[in-house]
Amino acid sequence: MKKIITLLLWITVLSGLLCGCGAQGPSLTEEEKNTIVIWHDKEEAVSGALLEELKALVPDVTVQMEYKSNLTEALKMVGNDPKAAPDMYFFAHDKIGVYAEMGILAPITGLIDRQTLDAAYVPMTLDAAVYKGEVYQLPVYFETLLFMYNRRYMADEDVPDTTEKLYAYMEEKTRGGHYGFVEQHSTAYYSAGWIHGFGGCILDENGQAGLSLPETIAALEYHRKFVELMPGESEYATVNTLFQEGKAHATIGGPWLVSAARASGMDLGIAAMPVIDETQIPISPYMGVQGVQVLKYAAENKTEAVRKVLQALMQPSVGVALAKVSGCAPAVEACYEEEEVISDDVVMAMRATAENTIPMPNRPEMDIMWTVAADLLVNINMSGLDVTESCNAAQQNAEELIKKMQ
Amino acid sequence: MVKAVKRLTWLICTFAMALVLIKPMSVNAEEERSAVYVQVPGDWEAPCVWAWDEDGNNAFEAWPGGETEADADNEGWYYIWIPSWADHVIVNANEGSVQTGELVLEGGNAWITVEDAENAAVSYEALTKGDIPEYVEKFEIHVDVPDSWEAPCLWAWSAPDGTNAFAAWPGEAFKQGEDGWYTGKAPVWVNSVIVNANEGSVQTEDIAIDPAELWITVEEDGSFEFSYDDPNAVSAPDIHVNVQAPADWETPCLWAWSAPDGTNAFAAWPGEPFAAGEEGWLTLSVPGWINSVIVSGNEGSVQTTDISVETGKDIWLVVTGPEAYEVFYEKPADTAAVSNKEAASDTEAADAGESAEQTEAVDVDAAADAQTAEAGISTGTIVLIVVVCVAVIALAAYFILKKKKA
Repeated sequence: MKKIITLLLWITVLSGLLCGCGAQGPSLTEEEKNTIVIWHDKEEAVSGALLEELKALVPDVTVQMEYKSNLTEALKMVGNDPKAAPDMYFFAHDKIGVYAEMGILAPITGLIDRQTLDAAYVPMTLDAAVYKGEVYQLPVYFETLLFMYNRRYMADEDVPDTTEKLYAYMEEKTRGGHYGFVEQHSTAYYSAGWIHGFGGCILDENGQAGLSLPETIAALEYHRKFVELMPGESEYATVNTLFQEGKAHATIGGPWLVSAARASGMDLGIAAMPVIDETQIPISPYMGVQGVQVLKYAAENKTEAVRKVLQALMQPSVGVALAKVSGCAPAVEACYEEEEVISDDVVMAMRATAENTIPMPNRPEMDIMWTVAADLLVNINMSGLDVTESCNAAQQNAEELIKKMQ
Repeated sequence: MVKAVKRLTWLICTFAMALVLIKPMSVNAEEERSAVYVQVPGDWEAPCVWAWDEDGNNAFEAWPGGETEADADNEGWYYIWIPSWADHVIVNANEGSVQTGELVLEGGNAWITVEDAENAAVSYEALTKGDIPEYVEKFEIHVDVPDSWEAPCLWAWSAPDGTNAFAAWPGEAFKQGEDGWYTGKAPVWVNSVIVNANEGSVQTEDIAIDPAELWITVEEDGSFEFSYDDPNAVSAPDIHVNVQAPADWETPCLWAWSAPDGTNAFAAWPGEPFAAGEEGWLTLSVPGWINSVIVSGNEGSVQTTDISVETGKDIWLVVTGPEAYEVFYEKPADTAAVSNKEAASDTEAADAGESAEQTEAVDVDAAADAQTAEAGISTGTIVLIVVVCVAVIALAAYFILKKKKA
């Protein structure tokens, strides 16, 4: 009898422990299994178009698009909680590493096989979605910076095809309160194009900071003379307003600038990035791939509904619809057979420019690098500190922070 | 293999698009316009047209509206191009001192014959001979010339092709305004001008310009300076920025600028250090035109976010952290009270753009609460298990003791 009681006792305790420590996954009703919540941080036009397409393509799945302005932080907090977390989120590829390391993402290849993905997508978009050998994002569209100019001031034949020609143009035209060329010179996302053009990097593919590389230092040293011919403040609003109000002849900006420029009545030209004379490499900005990531819980517990949504997102009509509202280039190759895409100058310019772009690193270390690189650019471009010393100090700071993070 | 084929296809497509980009692309947005011809009484000089739509949108910035031009091929007729949406007009003359009543247009080109202020007839049948001169957008050029430069004229052309804007030298006469400056207009396709006077006997050199409103100051010897910003704009007097910064922010500095044009008050980051002011405030005088500030400490290594302030007003700024501050336009009566309530009002002080983030923060908090709530359920379960275990143990102990007694 004593043994039996002791056995019962242990079974009770162990059961209790197992109940307390196990996954919290409540069994889902059929309705819950067929409801997919997607977090996003996009404007209404984009999320609305996406929702409309999904409603039409997967009518048997209830898709809810939920706007989250601070999506990345929210995910860090609740990504592990099936009750609070979404089933998917629609965001740029550069945060994949963070969430993959947190263990909250499911590889897309568990739902759509790799061969199907390879056959459907523009290769570089799929490359950007890979972290440690796994595809964690279903790409939807990609975006990159473009060289834009105001035809009222800059004739097509005057568009500089090299950076030295651009500098000469800036020297000639920057006066009286007008600028030959403006850009967000002290923002890492924009400065990266110049750094890549010299063969440098902010963060390499192994997660090593590249701020003290000779190529990075050379790029920032060279870029400084251009900065001297731009306004001291170079944040988003200043640069875009200067361009849209006709106070700057040319800029490097994202596709999001196109609609505003069009609305202002500007005769807007888009051209290839100038080639850096010293390296013969064009200014090579980052490319961002916007797409859908699937949370592990949803992949395991709502497998069929998630798969249906992913398959729907692979339809060319989705890419076309989003390209129309966002001005970005679809990631699905078949979209480029559609007249609506081919006839869109901006989308096609993006596709051409994308050949010389670098996918934004998707490693967690990049979170640190954005801040460190931004501080470095302020030190060099706004405080006038020595480039080499600043780069070395920033590199050391980055390495320490990355070490702490690990 | 599939991937390789896709990459090859991509490369070919990109190469083709790069070829397309050699000829830069046009993204044009032109407003639809209608011609309005007017014939006015002989004593109606320099007729103008004021135009608007039913929603109250005005086609011109200020009364008396757009100045008409004489049609050389149709004596007595003047014309102007107005936006097609502006279907309500008033014809006026003599600097707006005489005018017709409101005339509603049906759309398309219109010919208005004005008999007097009370009587005007609109025709949609052409009352003039020949083609309507094409619409050409124009911009204003303002000049300030020495008294000895009489009857100044504008000569304008497009370089390097040499197309002239006016039929013959010395060009079009400027009109003098009340402030003593002369104003002329040139088509937007010109990029070079000469200011001349005394029937062309004195002149400036060729002035290369952007086709945008500009102000040229000419000296006696013909030398000049120009600006795309109005030099007559009222400049705001200096203001004082008074600050209370966190105690661990050493040598607080002020960085100030005008958004969105990006004009900085100081040459280099982090700007100027504050001086000790009265009653524990730090103070610094800056130009009154600034509308954005950043307070930093520790040589710029800690700083506030961008803080928007009202132009031309003294500021009292209580900073308690990088994103925590309060702006006052009158000295706070009780600084201690301000400090005490600062934590409570931090979020209120942030600019409107942060409200979404605040919402998000609430969202995240809510999610965290949900997590906590869920943790509460698990704890309850564990408590239940413990209670059951204790009960079982007690039962077992009872049986054991009973057996021993037996």
